[in-house]
Amino acid sequence: MGAGCKNLRSTVTGRMTTGAAIFRIDGVSKSYGGVKALDSVTLEAGVNEYVSLLGPSGSGKTTLLRVIAGFEVPDVGRVVFQGRDITGLPAHERGIGFVFQNFALFPHLTVKKNVAFGMMNGGVAVPAAEIDQRCQAMIDMVGLSGLEDRGVEQISGGQRQRVALARTLVMQPKLVLLDEPLGALDANLRGRMRNELRAIRERMGVTFLHVTGSETEALAMGDRIVVLDRGRIIQAGTPDDVYSAPSSPAVAHFLNRFNLFDGTLTAGKFTGPFGTVASPHAVRAPQDVYAIRYDRVNVLPLTATVSGPALKATYIASEYLGSSVMNFFETSDGKVVEVEHHLSLGAPEIYVARQDYLLTWNPEQAIVFGREAT
Amino acid sequence: MTDATVARKRRLGPTWLILPGIVWMALFMIVPIAMIVYVSFWTQTTFNISPTPTLASWKQFFASDTYIGALWTTIRIWLIVLAATFAIGYPTALFVGLFVKSKTLSTVLLVICVIPFWTSFLIRVLAWRPMLGKEGVINIILLKLNVISHPIEVLLFTELSVIIGMTQIYCVFMVGPIAFMLGRIDRNIIEAARDLGAGFGRIFWKIIFPLSLPGVVVGAIFVSVMVLGEFATSGALSGRKVNLLGNIIVTQVGSLKWAMASVSGVILTVVMGMVIAAFLRIVDLKQEL
Repeated sequence: MGAGCKNLRSTVTGRMTTGAAIFRIDGVSKSYGGVKALDSVTLEAGVNEYVSLLGPSGSGKTTLLRVIAGFEVPDVGRVVFQGRDITGLPAHERGIGFVFQNFALFPHLTVKKNVAFGMMNGGVAVPAAEIDQRCQAMIDMVGLSGLEDRGVEQISGGQRQRVALARTLVMQPKLVLLDEPLGALDANLRGRMRNELRAIRERMGVTFLHVTGSETEALAMGDRIVVLDRGRIIQAGTPDDVYSAPSSPAVAHFLNRFNLFDGTLTAGKFTGPFGTVASPHAVRAPQDVYAIRYDRVNVLPLTATVSGPALKATYIASEYLGSSVMNFFETSDGKVVEVEHHLSLGAPEIYVARQDYLLTWNPEQAIVFGREAT
Repeated sequence: MTDATVARKRRLGPTWLILPGIVWMALFMIVPIAMIVYVSFWTQTTFNISPTPTLASWKQFFASDTYIGALWTTIRIWLIVLAATFAIGYPTALFVGLFVKSKTLSTVLLVICVIPFWTSFLIRVLAWRPMLGKEGVINIILLKLNVISHPIEVLLFTELSVIIGMTQIYCVFMVGPIAFMLGRIDRNIIEAARDLGAGFGRIFWKIIFPLSLPGVVVGAIFVSVMVLGEFATSGALSGRKVNLLGNIIVTQVGSLKWAMASVSGVILTVVMGMVIAAFLRIVDLKQEL
């Protein structure tokens, strides 16, 4: 899986969907010692939009943010912000907010002084009274009232995340870049901060560009998802678009929601380990891959007769996920097939370990990628 | 064994580990200092010394221009050398600890700073003589370049030569701790400050310098302790014109004037104690290290 991606010459660009573009990067490339971190990336974001940038580690997503923030200079390409070419502008003159993964708070300053830092030391002089007032309003908004005079080493991880956010937002940027902002938090807190991040953004009306390696985070938070792989954008669209119609096997793989099978597509028929299935609507891709979502697979006893795809697999184990149960099956050639059962659809079946079952699905719900796409 | 003794044994368990340290400190620090203080009150005659308590040596120290002058010279040279090592050391540390991105290169650069220490202390001091002398390297070069027409004579056997020598020798003790503190600063913090609109000057004064302050204090303590107790550099490079308290002690011990040497020793120890206490008030090292 993914072996064919380097041949993928995708022309996908992250196009904006709402309002006017607040920023645009145009054909940006960046290499480190001969390794291409970004390969002619073009991306736009609209005013008041939440864009999630999804990609595996090493896909260049952090580099992309650093180029936009001005910490790195692209080898080629332009960065345009609010209609102005800022490619050569130093970071401190850009007015683009950046929230770091490790928060990067000033360790020797209090919560309040961290928040006030930009106003007190920025290029634009802000009157002391206004600094005070804006600081307090921002601290109240992110829910840190009462902690103003604490040192940033004396507060919890979630509170530090809020300080980092407040410190950036108090500068009233039109664009905020977030580099895996929830990565340093524990799972419980991550869920809560996810909602809060959205709510804060909506209240402020700024554009967020949120980098993440987690597909759940990207799907949950973005108005629009941009998928990055090996330094290039391979798909952009609403969460629903990306989730239900991944444009390539690579995207389907990142989403972590699909069982992928190798096989061959000939004359509108896909031949894989599950037999030969009619696949009239294939998506063009550099390799033949058959994708079926975890929750679309049905499990039948071995004795059942099915007309569509049928895959014999051994039940191994299951994982309880709260709202659903994930069942793991293994095919004869060692491939693991995941079957998700939503508990709202009824109590889960009890399967016997090491016993063979027949997996099947409605072929119309599968997504087929192939070289001879229609 | 009762529960109480078991509990006490457990509690006292690791405490005895500190014993060698206590013995060492008592033998080589507390006892000698107490001895110096005691001897400073002994009665000294020309060829004899007796433990009869007297304040004579103390009165003599504060009445004599030579001794008081030496005290002020010591303090003046200490302040100048401290300022010079900081002025040269901080930018060096900034380069090694912050601007050099590769850890390997910054380690190599720090080792280079230490290379002069591979030769003996006296060689390092004496090496300044052929550099600074009337017919030394510096004068020859300046004459050849026609920058000067007569050799500069104040370079050697003056206070200046002592300051130059000490600055060179002790600078590395300033560079090391500062570079260490600078190296620990998270690069993201500096980028965050840039992103919030701060230019380099602001970032330096508001972020980098405060975070490196513990290194400055440790470096300053190193340099101060060593410069205040100095006698060899001033002896070798001043032509006996610059007398520090250290030189006074050496001379007094040489002529067996133990009481007077002890008085100077006590005063020097008190000055060092005050200097260290003052530096430690600047930052809370307990918190920083």
